[in-house]
Amino acid sequence: MSLFRFELRKLLLNKRTLLLLMCLLVLYSVVGLTSTVFLIGGNDSYLAYEELAIAWEGPFDSEKAAKAEKIYQEVSARYGTDARMIARSVKDQPEIILAVNYHAYAERVEEYWNGTPPESAEEPYGIALLQAKITELERQGKRDTTACRKLSTSLQRLKELGEPEFANALLWENLFNNWGEHMMQFLLFVPLAFVIAPVFAVERSSGMDNLVLSSRNGRRKIVTAKLLSVLVASTVVVVLYLTATFIFGFLPHGSFHGWDAAIQSIATYARSMFQWKVWQLAAVGAVWLIFTGAVYSLVICFISSRMKSQMGTVGIGLAVLFVNVGLAAMGDTVAQRLGALVDFGLANVTLAKEVFGGYKVFHVLNMNVSYPVMAILVLAAIAAAAAFGIYRGQKSRTIA
Amino acid sequence: MELRFENITKNYKSKKVLKGISLTMGTGVYGLLGPNGAGKTTMIRILADVLRPTKGRVLYDGTDIRAVGDEYRAKIGYLPQDVSFYGSFTGRDYLEYSAALKGMETAHAKKRIEELSRSVGLWDDLKRKCTAYSGGMQRRLGIAQALLDDPEILILDEPTSGLDPYERIKFRNIISAYAKDRLVLLSTHIVSDVEQIASHIMMMEHGTIQHIYTSGEYIHMMEGRVWLVEMSPEQLMDYQNQTVISNVRTKDGRMEVRVIEETKPASGAVQAIPTLEDAYLYHFNYLPEKSRR
Repeated sequence: MSLFRFELRKLLLNKRTLLLLMCLLVLYSVVGLTSTVFLIGGNDSYLAYEELAIAWEGPFDSEKAAKAEKIYQEVSARYGTDARMIARSVKDQPEIILAVNYHAYAERVEEYWNGTPPESAEEPYGIALLQAKITELERQGKRDTTACRKLSTSLQRLKELGEPEFANALLWENLFNNWGEHMMQFLLFVPLAFVIAPVFAVERSSGMDNLVLSSRNGRRKIVTAKLLSVLVASTVVVVLYLTATFIFGFLPHGSFHGWDAAIQSIATYARSMFQWKVWQLAAVGAVWLIFTGAVYSLVICFISSRMKSQMGTVGIGLAVLFVNVGLAAMGDTVAQRLGALVDFGLANVTLAKEVFGGYKVFHVLNMNVSYPVMAILVLAAIAAAAAFGIYRGQKSRTIA
Repeated sequence: MELRFENITKNYKSKKVLKGISLTMGTGVYGLLGPNGAGKTTMIRILADVLRPTKGRVLYDGTDIRAVGDEYRAKIGYLPQDVSFYGSFTGRDYLEYSAALKGMETAHAKKRIEELSRSVGLWDDLKRKCTAYSGGMQRRLGIAQALLDDPEILILDEPTSGLDPYERIKFRNIISAYAKDRLVLLSTHIVSDVEQIASHIMMMEHGTIQHIYTSGEYIHMMEGRVWLVEMSPEQLMDYQNQTVISNVRTKDGRMEVRVIEETKPASGAVQAIPTLEDAYLYHFNYLPEKSRR
């Protein structure tokens, strides 16, 4: 008899959870659909945009940039400078949306060459800025320092990537927003807390502890079965989100245009140092959400193993999430002070754009370690600690 | 096979629930009798390894059960005082889940589930949700669960509560047939549950085991201490506060009172054949004015 089968049934394959999953499927489909619908007008508008954009795709063109700048100035005077707001305001005028997008692309090209302002608190970016900083350090005799090596690596990667090209990846950009904005954490991680919370707490609240703890497999094998069922349940919920937002994100316009563009053509990934295509980023983003969802679920599972009530587990699980989101939203100054707490808190580390959208490097044990590698290590450590704590707790658990 | 309690003490904050219990049990049926709050369930839970003692240890064939771990738990079948269920489980699910927890092979588990569910009269109800079962059916399902893997040590906490007389007799027969070469510990406050089948009866009160004898020995000890006295209802009102009364019945307009007393309580009193229930009342001295229960 397989314990895993029963644990999976208790956690996932029961009427209550299946009903919740159905509701989530509807919600996620609505999220996917509305985000696409508000992106641009009807299907005709999108097709017109796609047709217009084909002529604009490719390397930077100063003539097109000048034309786009002119349109942008006119439209921003009327609707403000926020690209999304402009797009929503003129969603039936694809030529204006295209101009605004090309204008944003031109700014990214400018940033690629000239970089962030020297006074910026962000990670240094841009060929000229990096070269200037490296020259400055070399002049100070700090050529062999970690900081100098870090900047040199950044510069080299940036040169390898080359100047970004313009591509129409409008629908993909929308998908990555759905997968990588803080709203996703509420849509995905809050339900996850509700789904996972009963995993251990239900035994205490139902009184089944007596049977479980007095049985041969009730101290170790059951934990393995529960952890596996938690991972499966968490994957199902995340895949549900990914699938619904993917299908309903593309369905209204029936186009995957831009799937093989470089990710630097998407605003949030403009500074990414990864030489990936858009479809590759989508795959990585999906895997990343599954992974981070699993880690969060293991944290909830650990909380559940220490709590008597499911609602108590949900409460603490959500508090952990909200505190992290709150810390991440406190602005650059606070984020810089809190450092790793923000970088590896559940808020930032679950967002693919934060982890893969820049070139953040951590200096650990005299080595430069990139953010994605550090994030994987830290999350793996959190998951391992949670699993270890659950095994230990179950070994010494009593019913009193 | 031998189970030994070595100076087992259990405290809940300042309250001492078990006070240094030491005893040895071999094969046979052990009845654990005692009033509510005596510490029976705590003792049972420690034996079932779902509760840790504050002091002392339980030894299975000379080794601490905590060191034996999974292998010890593989040898026990445990029916807790309150049988609980997951809301979505049917009777079959519950037994299959229990079999999985006990690490039973699928084919063997299915065979045992059929045997036991027929034996406890639940075969036709296995497809129903456990939560829809009556109290007695839930209890019988719990008994089937405890017996599922043919445990060497069977621990039953109040197994007959909620069972009707027929079911109780049936339960006793199942346990009697089962107990050969095994250890059965049966905790109850219903004396008749253990009177017929227990080879040893432990009387427990205030966290200590007061006596361990066979049923026959308890009854023998009571010889000359159980009396039948006839009196009027008015006399009974006065009398019942002064002595331990095990039974009262009406006979020709007068009351025939069964009294437990060291000496002849009245001139007309005649000696009666003692029972284990008399011994229980005698040892725990159930005088109403003590108001402790």
